[in-house]
Amino acid sequence: MDLIKKFINFLKTEFNSYSKNVRIALYILFFLTAGFLIFGIQILFWGLGYTDMSNVYPFGQWIIGDLGLVGLGGGAFTTGFLLYIFRNDKLEPLINSTVLIGFMCYLFTLVFLVFDIGQPLRAWFGYTYPNWGPGLMPISMLTEVVWCLTLYFMILCVELVPVVLKHKVLEAIPVLKYIGHYLHRLMWIFAAGGTFLSFFHQGSLGGGMWDIMYGKASWFRAHHIYFFVVIIGATAGGTAFMTLCAYIAGKVMKKEVVPKETFHSIAKVSGVMITVYFLARVIDVGLMASKWTPLFDRSFTGMMGGYYGYWMLAVEFILLIAAISMLLVKKNREKEKTFLIGICSAAGALFLNKMFVVLNGSSVPNFPWKSFAAYNPTIQEWFIFLGGLSVMVLIYMWFAKYTPLFPHAAGHGHDDKEHAAE
Amino acid sequence: MKMNRRWGMAIDLDKCTGCGVCAMACAQENNMPVFEDDSDLPKRVQFLDLMKVTNDRDASYPDVEVCYIPKMCQQCEGNDPKNPKPPCVSVCPVVATDVGDDGVVSQVWSRCIGCRYCQASCPYEARAFNWWKPKYEGSFKNSLNPDVSIASRGTVVKCQFCSHIWKRERDKAAANGVLDINAVTYTPACVASCPTGAMVFGDLNDPNSELNQLLEKEKARKFRLVHTIDDKDEKTREKLMHMKQYPNPKVFYLTSKTWIKGIMKFK
Repeated sequence: MDLIKKFINFLKTEFNSYSKNVRIALYILFFLTAGFLIFGIQILFWGLGYTDMSNVYPFGQWIIGDLGLVGLGGGAFTTGFLLYIFRNDKLEPLINSTVLIGFMCYLFTLVFLVFDIGQPLRAWFGYTYPNWGPGLMPISMLTEVVWCLTLYFMILCVELVPVVLKHKVLEAIPVLKYIGHYLHRLMWIFAAGGTFLSFFHQGSLGGGMWDIMYGKASWFRAHHIYFFVVIIGATAGGTAFMTLCAYIAGKVMKKEVVPKETFHSIAKVSGVMITVYFLARVIDVGLMASKWTPLFDRSFTGMMGGYYGYWMLAVEFILLIAAISMLLVKKNREKEKTFLIGICSAAGALFLNKMFVVLNGSSVPNFPWKSFAAYNPTIQEWFIFLGGLSVMVLIYMWFAKYTPLFPHAAGHGHDDKEHAAE
Repeated sequence: MKMNRRWGMAIDLDKCTGCGVCAMACAQENNMPVFEDDSDLPKRVQFLDLMKVTNDRDASYPDVEVCYIPKMCQQCEGNDPKNPKPPCVSVCPVVATDVGDDGVVSQVWSRCIGCRYCQASCPYEARAFNWWKPKYEGSFKNSLNPDVSIASRGTVVKCQFCSHIWKRERDKAAANGVLDINAVTYTPACVASCPTGAMVFGDLNDPNSELNQLLEKEKARKFRLVHTIDDKDEKTREKLMHMKQYPNPKVFYLTSKTWIKGIMKFK
């Protein structure tokens, strides 16, 4: 009884150590997390009938979440690659946060997948009965995704170990301290392996999975150009997202968590990659309109109706142009306001692209006498989606408080108690 | 022993009255569950769907014409019938769906993880997902077909041309001493139940089968669902098939009405 009282008191003091604004944010995050748990149980035990997905609209919000999280989490492999292989040491202060976000993006991709598949208890079939065929390459793009996601997630787990081992309690144990130290020195091997794996599943989950569907005019591409387009997109939008998270963390903690040069360096990478991505997307959309959809005797414009048509494509391109002009130009990149617009636009453009793929692709009618399908996610879908994201934020906050997520900030120690807690 | 059959079907829309007996027979034969609210069409579990089409939605009698198109899995085979590649088979991550050497695209309910990738890739919306736990109320349980397994909640199911009936016929033949699998023929439930004889089932590899003879005789009335490549000349078709796979379904439709063929094209 005493122990429970102590624990409750500990929670109270912990909660009250945050500022008012953070406490309000925490209330919202806990509310969404509670919804995530309640509706998660409902979906797992009573089935997907409670979603607005249907036989004509089989992919919904959670698949958008999966594509978005993997695409944005792609910033982890890009940053790791630039730091450990290209030796861009300016990115060092960002790497812990990047690895943690990458880890959570992949973890929650797997969590959303568990909710999304009809038989989560059979999820292991992907490993024991993979559709691999006799060759080196798997036959099903989803088999490739399952394997690559799992392996890369394992790599991210290893990459995260040194960060966790820096916790003051764990660091006091000499063995763990040495393990953490030597793992950190071996990190370039994991970064290289992670880049290799991430390269493949970024391409297959975001691109290949869709462009091989030869029966569907809204997704099919006769060449695997889209495979590479989404890899470029992940490097561009992913790095912007990693920067955005660190920027928000800095604002909340009221500290300089990452030096300005780090932000400028990664924003430059993002700016260059987003420009390449923009050109690749223009070519991709051009080829869709001029070559691939006519193969079905359909017009590209005819598929842009419904709720998820032209406007999504237009907003995506506006965001891309905004990101290019803000991040590619040195003057804009180094001004805080335009820098923020740039990284938000880059991450937003990538997420919007994933929304467009799923929403527009599923809504396009398969028969000329049918109209565009509509999709309106149910409360269960919203709570599981937003609740999942809330859990990610809570984990990030825990790491920011108890581990050296931002070594630069710890080194500069503005240790005012209230803000350090945040 | 090698299977030489390649099962296909023809549906004569001029003979079809849209009575829906084929859908009923299919549901009964394949243990389709019945839900409290089966008016929720996009979530309904059924292998055979009757699609209602009209020549002009705004027209009124006597200018309006209506046709019911029975649509089940079209048993696609891709460009090369000798090496069939239906759009739904290669995408399955766990080999829950496959195409047999008789050309039937099969699905193993108990292997399916319910990712619905096959459903997304099907150009004919022919696959159904068990959004709810299949229910068989009261005496319904007594009429379940023991040859077809009950699907779990969260799995994708589809028409398999009633291949369990073929297996039943094969066992009967074997019991009578006939061990040649190519000697076994059968009739799917929908075809057997059709009161007007609008549905014909048979072997596309056998030039003397009733199906092949019908398709040969009715070339002018023949078409396939939204398969516009059929209207192109041989050279264009080859060129297009060189660029991509086409579903190339084994279910054919017959009609003498030009408007029905006309609505198969996207504007």
